[in-house]
Amino acid sequence: MLLRGLQLAAIWEAFRVATASLRANKLRTALTLMGIIVGVTAVIAVVTIIKGLDQTVAQTFSSQGSTVFTVSKNPQIIKSREEFIRSNRRKDVLHEDAEAIQRTCTACWRVGIAANAIETVKYNDQKAENVRIRGVDPLSMFDIDGVSINVGRIWTESEGASGREICVIGPDMLKNLFNDAPADRAVGQEIRIDGRPYLVLGVLEPLGSIFGFSRDNVVYIPYSTYQKTYGSRRSLVVFIQVHSTDQLETAEDQVRTVMRNRRGHLNGDTDDEGFALETQDVFLNLYGSATSNIYIVTIGVAAISLVVGGIVVMNIMLVSVTERTKEIGIRKAIGARRKDILTQFLIEAVTVTALGGAIGVGTGFGLAYIISALIGFPLLVSVASAVLGVGVSSVVGIVSGLWPAWRAAKLDPIEALRAE
Amino acid sequence: MSDATLTLTPPQSVITPRVEIDGVNGHDPRMLISMRNIWKTYQMGTESVHALHGVSFDIPRGEYIAIIGPSGSGKSTLMNLIGCLDTPTQGEYWLNGKNVSEMDDDELARIRNQEVGFVFQTFNLLARATALHNVELPLIYGGIGAAQRHEMAKKALSSVDLTERMTHKPNELSGGQRQRVAIARALVNHPSILLADEPTGALDSHTSMEIMDLFERLHSEGNTIIVVTHEHDIAARAHRVVSIRDGLIEKDERIK
Repeated sequence: MLLRGLQLAAIWEAFRVATASLRANKLRTALTLMGIIVGVTAVIAVVTIIKGLDQTVAQTFSSQGSTVFTVSKNPQIIKSREEFIRSNRRKDVLHEDAEAIQRTCTACWRVGIAANAIETVKYNDQKAENVRIRGVDPLSMFDIDGVSINVGRIWTESEGASGREICVIGPDMLKNLFNDAPADRAVGQEIRIDGRPYLVLGVLEPLGSIFGFSRDNVVYIPYSTYQKTYGSRRSLVVFIQVHSTDQLETAEDQVRTVMRNRRGHLNGDTDDEGFALETQDVFLNLYGSATSNIYIVTIGVAAISLVVGGIVVMNIMLVSVTERTKEIGIRKAIGARRKDILTQFLIEAVTVTALGGAIGVGTGFGLAYIISALIGFPLLVSVASAVLGVGVSSVVGIVSGLWPAWRAAKLDPIEALRAE
Repeated sequence: MSDATLTLTPPQSVITPRVEIDGVNGHDPRMLISMRNIWKTYQMGTESVHALHGVSFDIPRGEYIAIIGPSGSGKSTLMNLIGCLDTPTQGEYWLNGKNVSEMDDDELARIRNQEVGFVFQTFNLLARATALHNVELPLIYGGIGAAQRHEMAKKALSSVDLTERMTHKPNELSGGQRQRVAIARALVNHPSILLADEPTGALDSHTSMEIMDLFERLHSEGNTIIVVTHEHDIAARAHRVVSIRDGLIEKDERIK
């Protein structure tokens, strides 16, 4: 009880002394704080931005849903030159493949086809370049893609089969072709894709952008129309959706069997199956493996500035100990033990670094907010990273304060009292 | 400590310890302070310098004693030893029944906190702390709770007539007032000894007399007071004067 009281009183005294000395040396305190603030700001901003990006990516791919997988000629992500050459030798995936899957796969809920082309789209004298023209069939492809209509309508089944020049436009078209006019003004207008006139039936809900790439820079047209323009012998992607994730494996097996049959590899006896079957996880996995190392390096680089901050603190603490040698002598003469002095200087170091950490968490979130607003992804302010920021900077305070504090603690009281 | 140090004998030409100090070999348990054959040797490069060559003396409780000597006589070394700021190279020092000569740093800190009240020539107050806080400081390191601490510190300040100056910082106080704060700080923990090192060295003669009057009063209240000084008129206020020269006790006389 006595021991505990003693420690509490000494710790409170140490804290009181620390804050008083920090107030008394404002410039020095400001410089020390700066060292820590820069470090913590860097770490917090990096961590927050990374979390925001992760969340954006995860949401983007889960909007298409983990119940969707695709069959295509070329894999969506080609990992090597060999894979590229091999997949290019494959037979195209065609409408008939989709029909076969539709017929045979009992675990499949919805099957659709989609093919993309990049074109320049015009309206009067307005021009939008690099627009993704997406030919889809049937109408359920809109649901599989996770897009929905905002204004106007989607084409009907019969319109879709007719091969007429009709389209549904992404919201970027409003901005690029219609001078940001309200969506209903675009409906009924005629736009030109590759010189051909298309009637705008509807406008999609915005999906937003990822890594600065807009997902709304798109024009949906019926696959029959797409085929008419771009030819029927062009490889497409078959989209398959199941009701729930637990059916995914069965459906994939069934689809794989169908496709192997159609490609003639009954036993899978060659190296290549002749098609690519992929879930949307492939993006997430690739994203994860591609970015995790970058993240570690980035956080590491940010952490270096924290180390520099720690060195600043150590430097300032050493100066502080030297300046206050006399005070240390007085305290020792009247009964302060080594650990009392040690505690005092450690608390001083931790107080300044924890304060710097708290400010750094604030500026870090602020910086992340600005960057997220510029790039366009959600800001994830987490209590955990705030606690981590203050915690880590406190640890930096202890580590960098330990040596100066130890030097203070083992000062000889007679020598220290002689100092001026 | 080298063997050479141990075999050195004090030069007989100076002085031998007073005969009435009984038993150079054993301490006197009735005494508050009992020093036996204290040596303090400093290593200066390859040479050993003996600041004290076997000093022995006793101080009973309640005595008012002055230790006097010119600079370089070893009186500062003796004061540091009495105040437990340092330990002797050789010899025994008993303070209030405890053998201080064998204690480590933290034990010494504890003894200084509990048994010794320091009064310095330059006051040695914490510049940024109020008078009250300065006086509370030994109690903080002594582990006294806040409420009791305030009470004790206020009482100590009132005993040196500084009740009205409690919230002032040292730079708002006169030299005499600062020294009285230091005395209050020295007394607050009810130490066994009040150890004053040139307590009037930084004061004018009028204020010096006030401080010496205060010491006299504190002595009459039962405190044991040790004043280390080189000024004979300050030493003359004590009841016993021990003169140090060349690391030995030259004279030890009762004057009152």
